[in-house]
Amino acid sequence: MNRILIALSFLALGLGSQAQTLCQPIATRCEQHITASYIPDGQFYRALLQGEEMAEFNLTLFGGTTYRVAACSGDSDGILLFNVFDQERNLLFSNRDNHNAPYWDLVVASTLDVIVEAQLDPSKAGSGCAVMLIGFKR
Amino acid sequence: MTASSRFLALAPGLVLLLLASCGGGGSQSDAVGADTLATDTTPKETELIGLGGQFFSIPSPAQAAIAIKEAGLNYQQGVTAPLDKGDARTTRMAQATMLGVYGADMSYVTVHKDVKRVLTTLEAIEKLSAKLELGNAFDRSLMERFKGNMGNEDSLLRLSGIAFRSADQYLKTNEAEDVSSWVLAGGWVESMHLMLADPASAQNQKMVARIGEQKRTLDALINLVGQSNTDGQADALLAGLRELGTSLQHLKTAYVYEPSVTDAAKKTTYINGRTTVDASAEQIADIAAKVATIRNLILA
Repeated sequence: MNRILIALSFLALGLGSQAQTLCQPIATRCEQHITASYIPDGQFYRALLQGEEMAEFNLTLFGGTTYRVAACSGDSDGILLFNVFDQERNLLFSNRDNHNAPYWDLVVASTLDVIVEAQLDPSKAGSGCAVMLIGFKR
Repeated sequence: MTASSRFLALAPGLVLLLLASCGGGGSQSDAVGADTLATDTTPKETELIGLGGQFFSIPSPAQAAIAIKEAGLNYQQGVTAPLDKGDARTTRMAQATMLGVYGADMSYVTVHKDVKRVLTTLEAIEKLSAKLELGNAFDRSLMERFKGNMGNEDSLLRLSGIAFRSADQYLKTNEAEDVSSWVLAGGWVESMHLMLADPASAQNQKMVARIGEQKRTLDALINLVGQSNTDGQADALLAGLRELGTSLQHLKTAYVYEPSVTDAAKKTTYINGRTTVDASAEQIADIAAKVATIRNLILA
């Protein structure tokens, strides 16, 4: 029993650290896109994606603010696709139309609720950790 | 949910289930416990992949602080939380919500250039983060960097944002999504309190709009706190938030879509849709009373 306990504990720890190992370098790289003129929103968003599966991020963007959205996966930029929709599902922006840009600025005239959908570019990755970071400036 | 996320998320629950099924002198009641442990994997899944694949963002308290200043409301030194409240916190939930409160207060005093209060608030945050074992997010080096940037409020807000993001990453990496959600809840409630603290807010159209624009954020917060509330610790907080939600739902809001415009060379999209919020002074007073009730619960 004790041996099973130890073995399974190592398994659990190993899997936890695997997730950390997978996401940490991506997060570190993604942070570079929230440059010094942006204030980070104080939150860290990550999802483990496979194939065409999608993560959905719900945000309120306040009027009079410029937001920087950074979306990263894998070991280089351009692996994560993201679309920004308003609450009526009108497409406001897609990085697919802009060479899979790893970050983009959204200048918001009036407050609105948006949904950011993120998925891996199937031509570049089959699975991986998706990290999204948000910063803003006045 | 993805296969890999399911695998990683289920691992701890699987281990517990296997351990429970090993017997090892377990009784009949242990078997019941094994079922409970297996069921417990569901919230673990949500910790890694969000609620049904959904993630919820809570606006930075710095945005509320900036909005208060830009609306022309006066700085009120006495409206922030007493700094000795953190010392008496013994549960992780009480510590985490108070950390969020102090984080919002720090943005407020930073934006209003109250240098002395910035440093004392940061000290209170440092103590609480040590109690919560948040790694190095709020350590002495951060204090030194704050001191070195005292004349630049944007730098201070940025340092604060980086520190809170680092703490959030640490908590999520260590499967403490509940603590992460409590920090966010404390910060959001305090931001609402600060926006409503000046009686002039009810007559200030910018602030009325900003308060009304929190509907979706409150829904997100209820989801965040609720999905990790497996032991009922946050029941009272959730009840207060839901009560506040009924008041916000009564506000009249309208959204009109207009096409966005993208400037690819600048990597910028201009979002032109418009939202309007209509709220009476009575509705704002009702919201203020409910925010005060929740804040009192956190500070008690």
